[in-house]
Amino acid sequence: MKIILRLLLTMLLVSFLTFAAFEAVSGDPVRTMLGTEATEEQAQALRSELGLDRPFIQRYFHWVSGVFTGNLGISYSYRQSVSLLLGSKALVSLALCMLSFAMIVLISIPLGLASYKYSGRILDVVRSIVNQVCMAVPPFFTGILFSWIFGIGLKLFIPGSSPGFVHLFFAALCIAIPRIAMTVRLLRSTVVSEMNKAYVRTAISRGNDRSAVLRKHVLKNSLVSVISFLGQTLAELVGATIVVEQVMGIPGLGRFLVSSILHRDYPVNQAIVLILSFWVVLSGVIADLVNSAIDPRIKLSGEGRQL
Amino acid sequence: MKKKVFSILIIALLLLVSCAKKDASQPSDEVRIGVAQDFDSLDPHHMTAAGTKEILFNVFEGLVKPTPEGEIVPAVASSVEKSEDGLTYTFTLRDGVRFHDGMDVSVNDVLYSFRRRMDGKDSAAKLASLSVIESIEANGNRIVIRLSRPSNEFLAAVMNVYIIPQNCTDIESYPVGTGPYMFKSRTFQHSLELVRFDEYWGKPGKTEKFVFRILESPDALVLALQSGAVDIVAHLSSDQTKQLDSDQFNILTGSMNLVQALYINNAEKPFDNVLVRKAMCHAVDRKAVIDLAFDGYGIILGTSMFPSFAKYYVDELTDYYEYNPQKAKDLLAQAGYPNGFSMTITVPSNYTPHVNAATVIAEMLREVGINASIQLVDWGTWLDQVYTKRNYQTTVTGVSSDNMTARKLLERFGTTTGNNFTNYSNKDYDRILAQALAEPDDAVQTQLYKALERNLTENAANVYIQDMADLVAVRKNVSGIVFYPLYVLDISTICREK
Repeated sequence: MKIILRLLLTMLLVSFLTFAAFEAVSGDPVRTMLGTEATEEQAQALRSELGLDRPFIQRYFHWVSGVFTGNLGISYSYRQSVSLLLGSKALVSLALCMLSFAMIVLISIPLGLASYKYSGRILDVVRSIVNQVCMAVPPFFTGILFSWIFGIGLKLFIPGSSPGFVHLFFAALCIAIPRIAMTVRLLRSTVVSEMNKAYVRTAISRGNDRSAVLRKHVLKNSLVSVISFLGQTLAELVGATIVVEQVMGIPGLGRFLVSSILHRDYPVNQAIVLILSFWVVLSGVIADLVNSAIDPRIKLSGEGRQL
Repeated sequence: MKKKVFSILIIALLLLVSCAKKDASQPSDEVRIGVAQDFDSLDPHHMTAAGTKEILFNVFEGLVKPTPEGEIVPAVASSVEKSEDGLTYTFTLRDGVRFHDGMDVSVNDVLYSFRRRMDGKDSAAKLASLSVIESIEANGNRIVIRLSRPSNEFLAAVMNVYIIPQNCTDIESYPVGTGPYMFKSRTFQHSLELVRFDEYWGKPGKTEKFVFRILESPDALVLALQSGAVDIVAHLSSDQTKQLDSDQFNILTGSMNLVQALYINNAEKPFDNVLVRKAMCHAVDRKAVIDLAFDGYGIILGTSMFPSFAKYYVDELTDYYEYNPQKAKDLLAQAGYPNGFSMTITVPSNYTPHVNAATVIAEMLREVGINASIQLVDWGTWLDQVYTKRNYQTTVTGVSSDNMTARKLLERFGTTTGNNFTNYSNKDYDRILAQALAEPDDAVQTQLYKALERNLTENAANVYIQDMADLVAVRKNVSGIVFYPLYVLDISTICREK
């Protein structure tokens, strides 16, 4: 119950802030819609048609009450219902997010453990260089690079065509690479410090196999911090998708977000912000839930974790 | 365990490769075109984005339509008669013109379309240039329009009144027109599909189907050309065309038909002083701007007119102000600014060509002591602050004419004109403009328009730069692109060689 309340409050606050932000920036949605040819009379007529001549607070409450009745409004630039516009786009973005998240989890955890297990002087140097490079490359750059290598070079997908699974796969990989590198490093360092703890020494001194201890005890304890990090990552992924969607031509929420800001299309923008803030809060909650399932000592309470 | 993981990975990789499309070859009866922005409203009486008008030109027609030569010829009407006093136009409806839904076009549809645009009802945008209409009525298969005063631009306004069926309910989602191509489907922020209309009254389109792919990032557009996802992209920068393989693509050069200039807020100090404006004109080397920022593509301009409007273009105004920094300094001293001054150029950041031009211009102004700084704003802010509220000093932008008339380009510099965003105010100009707008004789009117252009140049209203080049990349096996003196892309002549 507390979680739901927190979720609602956060979303309300965020939506209010974006509403207010648009109020503060210059730019008139009506002028943007009508272009350079419109007269003041036309602009005024459209403004009252859209209800933009009403005071800010009134508009905000009108919008909020609309949201509660499932009505996200009509897009200014497309004159279509926002839910209709965004429905399929949200699915594309969600698929992209989930795909890259799955890659991060499935690749980084085994890789992190392996990098601890097979450490040696030269291997460590190589690993740390590769890791640094992966962390440093921004997704938009890998996006262009992958389009070149796998799209134009190897013809695995066609950059600029309607995106299929392969297209999404490489887009997801672009987003995942720097985060995989970060997770690997985090996991490795947590495992290293965990292995020096007393309970590990005890377990080994009692004749347990080193890798069995690693798998059975250390991994579980190390995962707590990794999962919190992954929760954060899940929230951040949406930011990365915005960029990659632009570069790789994937019609998801990110491109809509950017264009709705440029066109001052408030209803669309508000709806996307709502979806994104829901996503961010939700990923924090999921991380909490998973953590408390792994380690029952972490209680799931309202003040358990900061969002 | 390890073997399992390994084999799963291998299977996944194989799956991946097998679902990948093998090559980018396309059916010969389909051409794909990349566009840099999404379409706004598909309602022809409501669309505002230039990029939407550019493409929907193929879906909708007015009673008359433009030709690539810049003439206006009958379309949905088969003939146009103008009375001797220039006050009555009679349009005869063409036989056998059909809408894309199969219905015949009737005079009632024409009346409906005109009234919708005149009154701005049913969520249409009002067309100001139709205010000259006094009455419009049907007479058999004729439409008779009476004007309150003679107007040489009237046919150009009629060209923009696209004919739609009077009983259409949702033209926004299912646009229906009479053009050579009809709307098939649209995915927001992704694509638009048009197919050939087989019952078109005129010359049929050469290609069965066109797909417009929306790719908002400049890199994505180039990648889409290289990968074969699209065959044509217009309005490219010279940087983008340089990345394309010349064995695969032809680069066609047209002109954008717009006047790019450093537009000056003539009411702001110190720009209200004509000597300052003249100094700025002498300080900017327009050829260098084109060479540095546009790789040499572009036509130098000297006034608010471009060469594709040959009838109105005054060539000798182009070199009225030669590049001469010393003269610029002298003029500044004479105006009382021997040490120059500081100014701001406000540029819409989404228009890279304007940003690049502004950067070069600012450097040149610095040479003569004018400390110009560049302020980048987004398009919404630019429209609001610069264009509407006129709260700026100078800006770089392009001004065009969407109906092939000189009036669109020149009327905006009248003191009381609503869209005079430069605040240009000159008594002679206002007088000649009033004369020109009222003049029924085309030849005399043309002379008056030329006088207006001269007035703008002599008073250094703005620092005119160029008519920008329109670079179009076309795959080698695709042909048939025709340039218009308008911002339109006629797809009916485009085809892929078999």
